[in-house]
Amino acid sequence: MQATAARPLDPAQIRALGVLLVAAQLPLVVHLPIWVAAFGLFVAGLRFALLRRDGRLLRTRPARIPSWALALFAVAIALALRKSYGYFVGRDPCVAFLFVLAGIKFLEIRTARDGTLLACLAMFVALTPFFYSQSLLGGLAMLPAIVAAGVALEALARREPGAADPSMRSAWTRSASLIAQGLPIAAGLFLVFPRLATPLWGLPADHAAQSGLSDRMAPGSISELSLSDAVAFRVTFDGPPPRPADRYWRGPVLSLFNGREWRALPPRPGGSLARGDRPVRYAVTLEPDDHRWLFALDLPSSLPVADSGSVASSGPVASLARDLQLVTRAPLTRPLRYVQESILGTRHPVASADELRIDARMPPGNPRAVTFAQALRREHPGDRDYIATVLRWFRDQPFHYTLQPPLLEDHPVDAFLFDTRRGFCEHFASAFVVLLRAAGIPARVVTGYQGGEINPRGGYMIVRQSDAHAWAEAVVDGQWQRFDPTAVVAPSRIERGLYGSVPASDPVPLFARGDSGWINNVQLALDAINYRWRRNVIEFDHDRQRTLWRNWGLDGFPAWQAAAVAMAAVLAWAGAVFAAFAVKRRRGERTVRLWNALCRRLARAGLPRPAWEGPIAYASRAAKRWPQFAIAFGAIGDAYAMLRFGPVSDDERSALVATLARAIEVLPSPAALRATAHT
Amino acid sequence: MTVAVLTWTARLRQRAFRSRPADRAPVVLRHSRIYILPTRRGFAIIATLILMLLTSLNYALSLGLVLTFFLGGLVAAALLHTFRNLAGLEIKPLAGGEAFAGEPLAFSVALAAGAIARRAIELRAAGAMASVSLVPYATQAIALRVPTQARGRIALGRITLSSDQPLGLWRGFAYVHFPLTGVVFPAPELNAPPPPAGAEGAGERTAGASADSELAGLRDYQPGDPLQRVAWKAVARGAGWFSKSFEGSSGQGTVELAWASVPAALAIEARLARLTAWVLACERAARPFALTLPGVQLRPALSREHLREALTALALFDADTR
Repeated sequence: MQATAARPLDPAQIRALGVLLVAAQLPLVVHLPIWVAAFGLFVAGLRFALLRRDGRLLRTRPARIPSWALALFAVAIALALRKSYGYFVGRDPCVAFLFVLAGIKFLEIRTARDGTLLACLAMFVALTPFFYSQSLLGGLAMLPAIVAAGVALEALARREPGAADPSMRSAWTRSASLIAQGLPIAAGLFLVFPRLATPLWGLPADHAAQSGLSDRMAPGSISELSLSDAVAFRVTFDGPPPRPADRYWRGPVLSLFNGREWRALPPRPGGSLARGDRPVRYAVTLEPDDHRWLFALDLPSSLPVADSGSVASSGPVASLARDLQLVTRAPLTRPLRYVQESILGTRHPVASADELRIDARMPPGNPRAVTFAQALRREHPGDRDYIATVLRWFRDQPFHYTLQPPLLEDHPVDAFLFDTRRGFCEHFASAFVVLLRAAGIPARVVTGYQGGEINPRGGYMIVRQSDAHAWAEAVVDGQWQRFDPTAVVAPSRIERGLYGSVPASDPVPLFARGDSGWINNVQLALDAINYRWRRNVIEFDHDRQRTLWRNWGLDGFPAWQAAAVAMAAVLAWAGAVFAAFAVKRRRGERTVRLWNALCRRLARAGLPRPAWEGPIAYASRAAKRWPQFAIAFGAIGDAYAMLRFGPVSDDERSALVATLARAIEVLPSPAALRATAHT
Repeated sequence: MTVAVLTWTARLRQRAFRSRPADRAPVVLRHSRIYILPTRRGFAIIATLILMLLTSLNYALSLGLVLTFFLGGLVAAALLHTFRNLAGLEIKPLAGGEAFAGEPLAFSVALAAGAIARRAIELRAAGAMASVSLVPYATQAIALRVPTQARGRIALGRITLSSDQPLGLWRGFAYVHFPLTGVVFPAPELNAPPPPAGAEGAGERTAGASADSELAGLRDYQPGDPLQRVAWKAVARGAGWFSKSFEGSSGQGTVELAWASVPAALAIEARLARLTAWVLACERAARPFALTLPGVQLRPALSREHLREALTALALFDADTR
């Protein structure tokens, strides 16, 4: 064993390992900083270049970089990663380090043991892209690495270097066929292997990039988000979806203002569910965004419950905060599908006096806005009157709704209201709330998504980051009421979405443009596939699995029965694979049966075959004895020799067996042959 | 070999480890004989897969699980192929060989592939190793060159057939134990004194003097005949392989080799080594010889069979029977 582990690798083996490594590395490249990706691939390429040079120089021992230089390399890379990410012990820098380390190891490999280590490293590298994306495309991108793993392992297991070196193509075919044979095992494991309801070890609090809405809003933050086509969540409705004007997906509620930026309060319990008849019932599949809030249509009338296929299980996955935010216990790192109910409405009761106090604070900064508000308030002492006047003022003044507002320096609300008058929803919502608070009316900003596109191919709704929106809530007559100043300025934003509402020159993301014809169609079709992929592969978690087991009647099986079923399944699989082998073998056996029968017949006809005589020699002897059948004998000898000793593909094999059988059929009985023997 | 009535534990042990030479030719490897264990590389890959599994479970990476299970299926399929590479393989003993002590002794066994190709089958026994790949239906004789040290009869012992194909993750192996033995002749003494003179003297002939000898005739070539004696002209004519046999030109008589003719001062093995050297010298010089050992009496003759008989007698000489 020792000797085989230290056996040096030949260039073909190193090349096969390199192919595995690159196949494992490539899908990860898009998730890495460019310099890491470039460096990792560069070192792998360097080894390939060295191999080429070895081939040219006819070296027998492959060239490699000395180990100490590589150790130095590795340390340098670790330091560079520490500097680039700002920390090292975390998922992302470690994935990057593994990526580069595998490349460096490849530069160095020399023995079979190195090869094993590299194969293991490469297999793990192939797993890492899924930390970042589990899309269908990512799933397809891993297939080359799987097949390459089979090829590399087979190359490593090869005994005689160079001898019977199978061509790359057939090695790939063989590996793919092995994987195909293992497919039932893979599928069975995927269906029944128990998933974890809770993680084994704490997921490291990673400094992962958060996406989507945040709990802060400064001028420009939502318009920047609106540039993204990315899907925020998908919704399936029980019954018809609500009208576009009712599609307000409530997210973080922002109450704290520092003159420029809005922030959310820490969530406090005490929200009350809306009550009413005819609730809208729907299921949301939320993309993980590393935040703690879920989205629901205004106003939530139930707590979200994780959806696991047909049966909803376990308790609610989030609680309702005082400001009607749905808050989870931990940041969301996996896609979540939850069932939710809402009552479509714009008014809800004030939860506590504390809320009123915080949300009526005088906004800091922005003196012009405050003065303007106070002046206006003196003219309109009634709350409703005042709010209506403000909204009317927004409508009448030349405000523009645009994705590209000018940059605002100090007192951004002042600058927006009185100078630039060009802004996106966050500008309108922010300015509106400032004007209300300055007049002593409790108000706050609500962020979330507004809108959503129905995908006709899947019968579900897609809500994208480009649907991100900010609106306002104010206390009127002792109740919170929703106001959307953006809707006043650009009514089409609510009815037709972003694209119809901003100037044509604005950089609206492609898929948010409703009119892009076939591109949009293709995109919707792809999204439908992706959605199904999500539902059935990515979200096949603990709960879905339990549901499936229950449907199969497997739940609550005693362990020994489950083990027996598993055992039987594995045996059935092995039986099936061996049956496939046997079919192949019978084709071989038929060849021998035919030949042996022929030899017996010719022996009875007076021409026995000595044990040492080969098929071609025997057939030509027979052809001399019975020249009238020379052609048949020639065909028999050639076909049999080819089947037994030649390299034949499966197709050729069946054709040759058929030829053999037909040629033997042509021959008359032994007695007739004996009578016509030509001696 | 006497196979006494075995207790059931002994039978079980025999079935598991085949420690007695009780197999009858030919043996076809079946599932009852084939064991499969992971190789080191197999263990490493399985450990990696377990790590990948735990990572995927912990982070709920469904695609990670798909990848892990795909590779797991590959490993499982490799197991079946490893089994299949050995199953149905037929092995039978051909011959136990002969050799002088210190030289490798070749045991030959035959492997028959059956209907499928066999890849990189390794045979190990008594310190010998051979590796062979077979095409379908091929039968191949394989020589296991066992190193020898002391004279006597040696057994090939248990043969381990193994293969880690196709992926090197699993090693399938099977034990086969044939009652196959070979004879190790004593190593001839180097620079031994010439054998005692024959009955009619003229014992000054030395090895290599065959040029002076008279050609007595041709006989069929047998493996092991010295190449100098091959009748190359006959080979070139295509008549076949013959060895020339010589007869001493001066009509030498028989050489009497006896245990007593070796100085008793020498150790037993040294005396046997000298007698072996003399036997070989007589054979080279084509002089008939007789051999007398305690308990063994060979009449004078000159032939391959006689030579082998003499060498075997020397090989199996048992000091106690003196």
